[in-house]
Amino acid sequence: MVIRTYNEEQQYLEKISSCAWKIKKGFVPNMKVEGVFYANDALEKLMFDELKNSCHSQGFGGFLPGMKQIANVAALPGIIGKSVGLPDVHAGYGFAIGNMAAFDMGDPKAIVSPGGVGFDINCGVRLLRTNLSEKDVSPVKEQLAQSLFDHIPVGVGSKGVIPMTAKDLEEALEMGMDWSLREGYAWAEDKEHCEEYGRMLQADPAKVSMRAKKRGLPQLGTLGAGNHYVEIQVVDEIYNKFAANKMGIEHKGQVCVMIHSGSRGLGHQVATDALVAMEKAMKRDKIEVNDRQLACAHIRSQEGQDYLKGMAGAANYAWVNRTSMTFLTRQAFAKMFHSTPDDLDMHVIYDVSHNIAKVEEHFVEGKQRTLLLHRKGSTRAFPPHHPLIPVDYQLTGQPVLIGGTMGTCSYILTGTERGMQETFGSTCHGAGRALSRAKSRRNLDYTDVLGALSEMGILMLILIKF
Amino acid sequence: MMEHEFKYAVIGGGIAGVTCVEQLSALCPDDKILLITASSVVKAITNISKVTSILEDFCVVEKPSVYISENCPNVTVKQTRVTNLQAQKHKIITDEDEYEYGKLCVCMGGTPNIISKNCSYVLGIRDTESVQEFQKRIANAQRIMIIGNGGIATELVYEVEDCEVIWAIKDKSISKSFIDAGAAEFLLPQLSQDKQSSTGSAPTKRRKYTIDGNKFRDIGHGTGTALGPDWSEGLLLKGLDKISHNVKIEYNVEVEAVMEKDEYRITLTDAEQDALSVWPVYVKLTNGTVYGCDFVVSATGVTPNTETLLKNNKFEVAEDGGLKVNDKMQTNILDVYAAGDICSAFWNPSPTWFQMRLWSQARQMGSYAAKSMVSHTRNQDILMDFCFEMFAHVTRFFNYKVVLLGRYNAQGLSTNYELLLRVTKGKEYVKVVLKGGQMQGAILIGETDLEETFENLILNKMDLSQYGEDLLDPNIDIEDYFD
Repeated sequence: MVIRTYNEEQQYLEKISSCAWKIKKGFVPNMKVEGVFYANDALEKLMFDELKNSCHSQGFGGFLPGMKQIANVAALPGIIGKSVGLPDVHAGYGFAIGNMAAFDMGDPKAIVSPGGVGFDINCGVRLLRTNLSEKDVSPVKEQLAQSLFDHIPVGVGSKGVIPMTAKDLEEALEMGMDWSLREGYAWAEDKEHCEEYGRMLQADPAKVSMRAKKRGLPQLGTLGAGNHYVEIQVVDEIYNKFAANKMGIEHKGQVCVMIHSGSRGLGHQVATDALVAMEKAMKRDKIEVNDRQLACAHIRSQEGQDYLKGMAGAANYAWVNRTSMTFLTRQAFAKMFHSTPDDLDMHVIYDVSHNIAKVEEHFVEGKQRTLLLHRKGSTRAFPPHHPLIPVDYQLTGQPVLIGGTMGTCSYILTGTERGMQETFGSTCHGAGRALSRAKSRRNLDYTDVLGALSEMGILMLILIKF
Repeated sequence: MMEHEFKYAVIGGGIAGVTCVEQLSALCPDDKILLITASSVVKAITNISKVTSILEDFCVVEKPSVYISENCPNVTVKQTRVTNLQAQKHKIITDEDEYEYGKLCVCMGGTPNIISKNCSYVLGIRDTESVQEFQKRIANAQRIMIIGNGGIATELVYEVEDCEVIWAIKDKSISKSFIDAGAAEFLLPQLSQDKQSSTGSAPTKRRKYTIDGNKFRDIGHGTGTALGPDWSEGLLLKGLDKISHNVKIEYNVEVEAVMEKDEYRITLTDAEQDALSVWPVYVKLTNGTVYGCDFVVSATGVTPNTETLLKNNKFEVAEDGGLKVNDKMQTNILDVYAAGDICSAFWNPSPTWFQMRLWSQARQMGSYAAKSMVSHTRNQDILMDFCFEMFAHVTRFFNYKVVLLGRYNAQGLSTNYELLLRVTKGKEYVKVVLKGGQMQGAILIGETDLEETFENLILNKMDLSQYGEDLLDPNIDIEDYFD
């Protein structure tokens, strides 16, 4: 790997618009296409700081800066278009978070890579509406929160509430939301407002390992920790009344519920299993990559197909998970307000995935092509009149749900034609790092602790920094 | 008409027993299930209506049988003491009656170890009965002594207010069984601070347990159910004086003698006797120091409650006194299973799991034992619950959230491991145990938001050596990276 100075690196980067940068071929070896990333001034600074730090420490393995990762993806076999970084693109395992990459299904060399989907397969966001207002909910905030916690268990080692046997899990992996519908946990119209109608048909439970199933079984209907959440939200501002009305959002102060969750342990195991299998197969198939974490396989190979079927199963599991939480949320609200979910108008506005790989039709240089799109930390955003979006959103375009972090707003956007052209209908997934940067400022101080530990003689080797 | 034959029976109304019964009831709604408990049933509460004062929750008391049968109509609860078990005949004999069972799960927990059994000033604290007793006595106390270095002692030391506390531990650092010396050092400053006001008004994200039994009958000593995770909530643990925290820790000591007032006085010279400040009881430690206090709390662990069972049955017993169980929670005796503090896990465990007598494991074992019993009745195969793949426990020490994952203190790894450490004084303590590049365990203190990420990394068995110490770099959002 070539080590350059920061100035040298900058030769390969060109600002092409007020919020877009081009990464030219040569930034890393073997780039087949160019890279592009979108960033405003603030995010641009973060991206370049990340690059600068990496140049100074002569980064080797470890954590690569997002820009390098986008370029390494551009070096993968069969990539078509550009390797795209949606804001706030930042370092991830293999692919950066926010990296979208499309591969030509017609090219026998084209690959699929689990790093391009992420470990939390089908991590996504679902938004429910209600006909309640802020003034209805404010006085009972704590009780409502408690009621949600009682219905939806959280945290390490927590058990699910919806009883599930191993057989149920098999069916859920295969059928996705159709399983929930059959069991009575979903409304029929929920499916309409979900990508893939909440079920990827190519799923095969046999391609999900026993260990993955064991991890998934106790976690169904639980929220998980970290950046997953169920959040009660209030509409702050409506910029497009027509689109909002189509989604059932009528006025400011309207109460909605946002569920952010994925496949958790099961997804992690599916991804881990695939990475191991693919690493082995790469030598056999003579696939070369710039970064070991970009383990991949030819789409048509056994490993590639196995992964896509397992990934689809994990995706189905995540939809069942979000549906179960929808069910529990509806119960919690109904109990709280002595009503029914139906009377509270608690419909699903939409459900988007931001860690997934999909087969889609797109126009590339005027020709229609079938592509395998990897979206990691990136949301699909189809424009009006696209055949894959629900009838009631045909005029507005697909709703795009962007979850905020604690203390920042969430947004609902709609897909545009321009997005379709520039990024194969993909956009960002979350509020970005600005807040976690603040979180990371810590005053690290070890003196007392180290003293105690070394006295105990229990440390064989301490690796500390910062 | 009295029922005497039950498909499934459970002895013990603590967390293991109640979880087992609930799981059995859910899996077999048509079968008859018996729960025998000698004292109050620990009630698992799912819907807490937060009223103005926490204490008010405790006034809403129901009898155990009403609660259980409301939620599980096929369960019969008998509040009585078991005097004998005739396992070959599948018979349980109690104070009042006899019952026959198809399959039995014993969840009788453990009896607190008391350092001085005959002294009325020494109080064992481990179960619901003794907590009530403690509450009564602390109200009139100015100074108490706490002996023990486990979870209960640690929590108690922090919870007690308005009373001086002498904490005597046999180790070099506090809370040894849970955290290492570094984490102990991190937590200590909290003891000299004013106790934060109770977070009781914030919603809790976990199933809550409380004690249900102001009206229970006193059946006998040592029959209370073990304390659950919220045992101190809603209790008035305040003494006489108006001070928040006043804790003195004595390290590396054990109790040499406990003497009542007069017993101690006569060992002193006249001059010493005159100078003595008068307390009801005096404790002499192995380092020579003598402390007087109002009473002594012995939080020194438990001995599994196997006496009754061993009278007539040849159970295999482990070194720690617990009934040996296999990976299906079965004892060596046909149709008898065991869960919770009374059992000792005797299967070959996953490398990142080990047994610790905690309420969380009691619950996991109770649930799994039920599934095991049912699957055997139905001649079905059963896989071990995944919770036994990796040790995981969440608790609160000194007002900090403490998460323990896997082999968090490198237990059993001899010298073959590495540690990564990140500390921010007063905020968080993160320690990771690595072996061969794989994460084996972690301690997380404070709101780190890392527990799910680390749980996944441990279970994924991913090779993390390429990251080296950068793994804990606060500038990398590691939670996001592995998402």
